[in-house]
Amino acid sequence: MNLILFIFIVLLGFTSYYFGRRKAYTIQSTNKRLTALPQFYGYYLAIWCAIPAFIIFSLWAIFEPTIVKLLILSDYSNQGYLDDELNLIYEKTKALSRGQFTGEITPFIEASAEKYLSLRSIAQSSKAVIVLSIIIASVAYAYKKISSNSRTREPVEKFLKAVLFTASLAAILTTVGIVFSLIFQTIDFFKVIPLFDFVFGTHWYPAKAFVRDSSEALDPTMYSDTFGAVPIFAGTFFIAFIAMCVAIPIGLMSGIYLAEYASVKVRQYAKPLIEILAGIPTVVYGFFAALTVGPFLKEIGNSMGLDVSAESALAAGGVMGIMIIPFISSLSDDVITSVPQSLRDGSYAMGATKSETIKKVIFPAALPGIVGSILLGVSRAIGETMIVVMASGLAANLTLNPLESTSTITAQIVVILIGDQAFGDPKTQAAFALGMSLFLVTLCLNIVALRVVKKYREKYE
Amino acid sequence: MIKINSKNVDVYYGKKQALFNINLDIEENQVTALIGPSGCGKSTFLRCLNRMNDVIDICRVKGQIIINDFDINDKSCDVVRLREKIGMVFQKPNPFPKTIYENISYGPTIHGMAQSKNEMDEIVETSLKKAALWEEVKDRLHEPGTGLSGGQQQRLCIARAISVKPEVILMDEPCSALDPIATAQIEELIDELKKDHTIIIVTHSMAQAARVSQNTGFFHLGELIEHGSTDKIFKNPENKKTQDYITGRFG
Repeated sequence: MNLILFIFIVLLGFTSYYFGRRKAYTIQSTNKRLTALPQFYGYYLAIWCAIPAFIIFSLWAIFEPTIVKLLILSDYSNQGYLDDELNLIYEKTKALSRGQFTGEITPFIEASAEKYLSLRSIAQSSKAVIVLSIIIASVAYAYKKISSNSRTREPVEKFLKAVLFTASLAAILTTVGIVFSLIFQTIDFFKVIPLFDFVFGTHWYPAKAFVRDSSEALDPTMYSDTFGAVPIFAGTFFIAFIAMCVAIPIGLMSGIYLAEYASVKVRQYAKPLIEILAGIPTVVYGFFAALTVGPFLKEIGNSMGLDVSAESALAAGGVMGIMIIPFISSLSDDVITSVPQSLRDGSYAMGATKSETIKKVIFPAALPGIVGSILLGVSRAIGETMIVVMASGLAANLTLNPLESTSTITAQIVVILIGDQAFGDPKTQAAFALGMSLFLVTLCLNIVALRVVKKYREKYE
Repeated sequence: MIKINSKNVDVYYGKKQALFNINLDIEENQVTALIGPSGCGKSTFLRCLNRMNDVIDICRVKGQIIINDFDINDKSCDVVRLREKIGMVFQKPNPFPKTIYENISYGPTIHGMAQSKNEMDEIVETSLKKAALWEEVKDRLHEPGTGLSGGQQQRLCIARAISVKPEVILMDEPCSALDPIATAQIEELIDELKKDHTIIIVTHSMAQAARVSQNTGFFHLGELIEHGSTDKIFKNPENKKTQDYITGRFG
């Protein structure tokens, strides 16, 4: 029903566009100058069709359910039901009307369900009638109004601006919403677990929180030594560090090779090949790390008499580094290629060799972009989850030995939220606290990145 | 005295031939202007003289270019040494994104010409003085070279080119991006520089060629139509095409 109505409105929109344009052509044919191109007259009418339709649809969506509920429940008023019971009755009514009710059907509910259905159909048909008549009225009004000297271009441009603004607003509001939900849940978490314990505690053992029966009273003391985030922060930075040790040199050098040394042919094939690396899902890297690299490192270590765990930070970090190579390589290649040829010519004409030119002219000029690509790689490394979960284990050891297993913030969020969770439980809220701290870390990283880039921009441009 | 002697130079871009059998002698310590309509090959010829065409993958150069009794197209030629001897100034000012000081010290550093900080300071100062830029920038040597005006940037590029004491300076339309005042300054500078350097300048401005040069070569469609003293080319050209171009009938 709604779909048909919607299609009908879209058709009406097209029709009004057509009529608007036709009227403009008619005006034009009488040798009068128009204030805008004929299309604008068409768009103008289409907007007069779209806006009322949108307003009525939204109003209906907001008020229809409330009014229907009021009408249904008015039958039950003065019978001494509590609010909760009334809500339950209403839910039963809706379920029965959809044919999904499985409990005992009382005549009362059955009557309500019938009433519900009839109310809904009345609402639907009145909505259709109201929408269509208002649209037709508004389009007809606008159609009559437009003449050779009426303004149509400005309203159309304004409408487009408003649409674009709404789109960006939606993106911003979503972000703000997520941040706020993080903040509130985090605050709740810190009501139970002291901030000090979280930031400086060296024991992360959320499994302890799982054994609590939810019927037990909440006793904060039982969580001491449970949510100390130092080991997982250390693990996060440690694994990211290992990853960047692999990714930065290889990525940068391959970027420089592609941009400066590779022939057109080689670059044409090599660049997409490297970019394919970026398209491999991280899960694949994860089992590659867990099933191939981890055991391989363990074997090598054992043959050298070292005690290597099969799930090691080295395996996770190394594979993560390989995952990040294409980001750094491809981005720095782009940045280096975009350094103007005139700078290269200037340097070559001074008798500089290729490597001198790269080192002294091109690299400094491309530095802001290269720093940007590296920081992008770092935030990928910090945010990466799957490889760590699969290859570095879930035990949050506080260690700086790359051969032992360790865990990261994101991996621990996975651990906490897998399976059943209860809202308002510290172990669930811990995930929000971790998410919040991760957010703060990447935010700081981005701010630092912007600063660095800006500083060098000022110096080099 | 002849500084550069080119014999039967052909240049190809891929399959397309851009220069046909160029034979041109360049006089030492004089200014030679290369003129001709766009796409006639004068810049291509200029870039042959310091092997800058090597940078372009599809470009091939044939023939001999002899500088100081040595063929620069020979395999044994060291391009780094060659470009140290033959400096170049480009159409658009292209200072490096570094400080003014670093722009000048770039060449001397890569060729190991200064043993100490003092020596380098001296090279920077004399180069900037020779390029008539010293008075304007002496108080801000450590500010970015890209912050200068267009004319100043071009003089910075000239200072950069002369910092390694080249014997020859190639100029590829050095004034085409500059206003008349900056152009006049550069032209004055060229006149000054010819005492120590041999200068070859590509220009689109006939007036400029007449003002700054002692010798002129006229290129058309990849061929050297006529060359000789500037006086003769401008007042008494032998070839009809040259005369047409000089008088503005085509080009």
